Amino acid sequence: MLLRRSLHPKSVWRMLPLNHTDAGEQAGELLLEGASARLMLKDCQAVAVFACTLGADFDRLVRTVQARSMADALLMDCCGSALIEEVCDALQQEILQAVPYSHGTDRFSPGYGDLPLQLQFPIIHLLDAQRKTGIHLTPSGLMNPQKSVTAFIGLSDAPQRARIRGCAYCEMKEHCTIRKGGRTCGMESK
Amino acid sequence: MGTLTFEQAYELFREMVIAGDKAGADLIVVETMTDLYEAKAAVLAAKENTSLPVFATMSFEADGRTFTGCTAEAAVRTLEGLGVDAVGLNCSLGPRQLAPLVKEIAACTALPVIVKPNAGLPDPVTGAYDVSPEEFAQDMRLCLENGAAIIGGCCGTKPDYIRALAEMAKDAAVVPHGERAGDGCVCTPTRTVHTDGVRVIGERINPTGKKRFQQALLENDLDYIVDVAVQEMDAGADILDVNVGYPGVDEVAMLPRVVKALQAAVPLPLQLDSSNPEALAAGLRVYNGKAAVNSVNGKEEVLRAILPSVKKYGAAVVGLTLDENGIPDTAQQRLAIARRILDAALAQGIRRADVWIDCLTLTVSAQQQQAEETLRAVQLVHDELGLSTVLGVSNISFGLPMRPLMTQTFLVRAMDKGLNLPIINPNQKEMMDAVAAFRVLSGEDEGSRDYIARFADAQPAAPLKPGASSAMGLQEAVSRGLCAEAVRAAKAALVPGQELALVEDQLIPALDKVGQDYEAGRAFLPQLLGAAQAAEGVFGVIKDSLAKNGGERIRKGRLAIATVQGDIHDIGKNIVRTVLENYGYEVIDLGKDVAPEIICDCAEKENLALVGLSALMTTTLPAMEETVRRLKQLPHPPRVFVGGAVVTADWAEKMGADDYARDARQAVEIARRVLG
Repeated sequence: MLLRRSLHPKSVWRMLPLNHTDAGEQAGELLLEGASARLMLKDCQAVAVFACTLGADFDRLVRTVQARSMADALLMDCCGSALIEEVCDALQQEILQAVPYSHGTDRFSPGYGDLPLQLQFPIIHLLDAQRKTGIHLTPSGLMNPQKSVTAFIGLSDAPQRARIRGCAYCEMKEHCTIRKGGRTCGMESK
Repeated sequence: MGTLTFEQAYELFREMVIAGDKAGADLIVVETMTDLYEAKAAVLAAKENTSLPVFATMSFEADGRTFTGCTAEAAVRTLEGLGVDAVGLNCSLGPRQLAPLVKEIAACTALPVIVKPNAGLPDPVTGAYDVSPEEFAQDMRLCLENGAAIIGGCCGTKPDYIRALAEMAKDAAVVPHGERAGDGCVCTPTRTVHTDGVRVIGERINPTGKKRFQQALLENDLDYIVDVAVQEMDAGADILDVNVGYPGVDEVAMLPRVVKALQAAVPLPLQLDSSNPEALAAGLRVYNGKAAVNSVNGKEEVLRAILPSVKKYGAAVVGLTLDENGIPDTAQQRLAIARRILDAALAQGIRRADVWIDCLTLTVSAQQQQAEETLRAVQLVHDELGLSTVLGVSNISFGLPMRPLMTQTFLVRAMDKGLNLPIINPNQKEMMDAVAAFRVLSGEDEGSRDYIARFADAQPAAPLKPGASSAMGLQEAVSRGLCAEAVRAAKAALVPGQELALVEDQLIPALDKVGQDYEAGRAFLPQLLGAAQAAEGVFGVIKDSLAKNGGERIRKGRLAIATVQGDIHDIGKNIVRTVLENYGYEVIDLGKDVAPEIICDCAEKENLALVGLSALMTTTLPAMEETVRRLKQLPHPPRVFVGGAVVTADWAEKMGADDYARDARQAVEIARRVLG
């Protein structure tokens, strides 16, 4: 609650035309290579791409709290992760209401499946996200502030199947300690 | 912003401004800045390498802050202090949204104010901006009315926008502004502290008479110094005095390092406290915002050595009322020195509000009449020069019993004479209580709001239930993560000279118990960390005892940890550090985004037997692999353990690491095996 009040999440998004080409899914000037993008977008006519962030305030807050108490900082970091997902959920709704398509896919991000992380650079550039949201990329492609997300949503006139939820699609499924304990992290049922 | 350092940014800007100057530029414009620190690097580069005029504008959101949290006032105060010729804002929003911010900026400065808005906002579906040239020009009238003197357009504006703008403004005159331009203040990007009332300067960041602090300085233990700062902030300090002068410490190198470390964790403005002009200049250079300098005095050579840096970096300065002849006996003589300091500062171009005078507290048990003379001097400086006054208050009670009472009484009297910047220990409740009460009586705390907030819940300390918490043993307190209880129990149990026994027999078993519960799924990471923090409190007790009794430090062995190059996530690594340190290991924390050569150099120089590496992202695994490879090529390769979200046992083995640490608990097991 305290976090929600003290943070000012920022976001920016654009809708891009989509062409299914041999090289990959061509969304405006962005080329989405690989099987994951193909699977996600095969029934789509357009794509929305967005970037959002909790902002530098959150990183600063966690640094201050770390000096006070590592345990509190850990909890706060987790709250931040939950909160940015909430921001994404709200943004996804906003996008689906604004675009001239009735349905959207689940959102998916660079690094998901075989969608290259290198896409971060053209995405941030295309959205002018550095100026519009304060998201910067390090040379290795990591986003700063830390609680930031870039993602695509496929847009279509036909209903889209949920394709990427659950353990079967998770990169960590081989090593996940929660799964070994016979439980899930909850993303399955969401 | 990002991972670029201040120094790297300066170098890049230096290259640009020199090239621009050579090519015949008339003006240097620093614009679309969201990070005040980056703006400072650019302005410094421009001022130090060219003689061209400099304009600086930053990009603010509707809430009046940049993405990095910098407020409009902090930006103006800092950039004006650095000597820019015009200041303002550009980009982010349309002219209608930026107009209120123009007003705020114009109030804080007499410099020309620049505004270059966007043509509204782009539509995400079509990409078109939503303000037409005519609307743009109309809305810019609001900016002119609010004090703008230099106008233009940013994203989405085209020649027709500028044409309409020029037409609208062709007969406009600049509206007078700058009502608050002369206000005294210091700031960081996120916090501006005005000196128009009582503001507490915390005195704890100072090694004088503090063994533990001295040890921290000699061992480069910046974490300890940051801890002290956070305590002062939590206790209610407004500004922090920072003194790192101690024999064996290179102040010129240390002061900037400490400034950077403090600014990363604490939003309060700093007062850099040193008699070394080079150290002050180095500290001011890397300070993000408008700092204060403590101090100059009436000596010619001191004024000459320090005031130019104060001016160059736009700081405030404390002047001590002493000179070649020492501290004068009378208030009138101290006033005369204050006047001399003020004149020298004004001649240097420093603003009147940025000169603070310290009339010097002498110890009342040694020079009784001087207490009254100091108070009189405070009043004279306040009444006749109208300057802010600073006073190190605690000195008054030295050598007397019941010091807090004496110090508090003197503080109250001094504030009544006009003292507004007391330098005190904010952790002493008596002092902060007195300040809170004084603010009510002086009318500063309107409606007694702060006072009521401070004391509404205050109740006499509840007596401890007999036998309950007071009987809690050290082990139980640690394993339940109760820091205060653990510290109390440790103090009770500690036998000087037997510190190690306390660690081995009580502390470590308690930590192990939580560790086992954690592994068994009966306790979770916050509880593991809670226990580690309670242990940290106990180690504080032990370190104090060792420092006091001159004993050897407890060292279970050293290791280095780092987040690998390209990775900026460090909370996991910090958790590992916290837990390892509280098992008694000495952890050299190399930080995040650390190049392989730095890790190798450290391992070699410190002759380490163990190094830990962390990575969160798959993209940085190659950097981890490279680091492991290079560590293994050293003449005496350390054992290397790796961990982090994406690292698995398979990966660890594949990249040639010796061990894989799934979590902090396993890192301890590895350290035990390797270091004992």
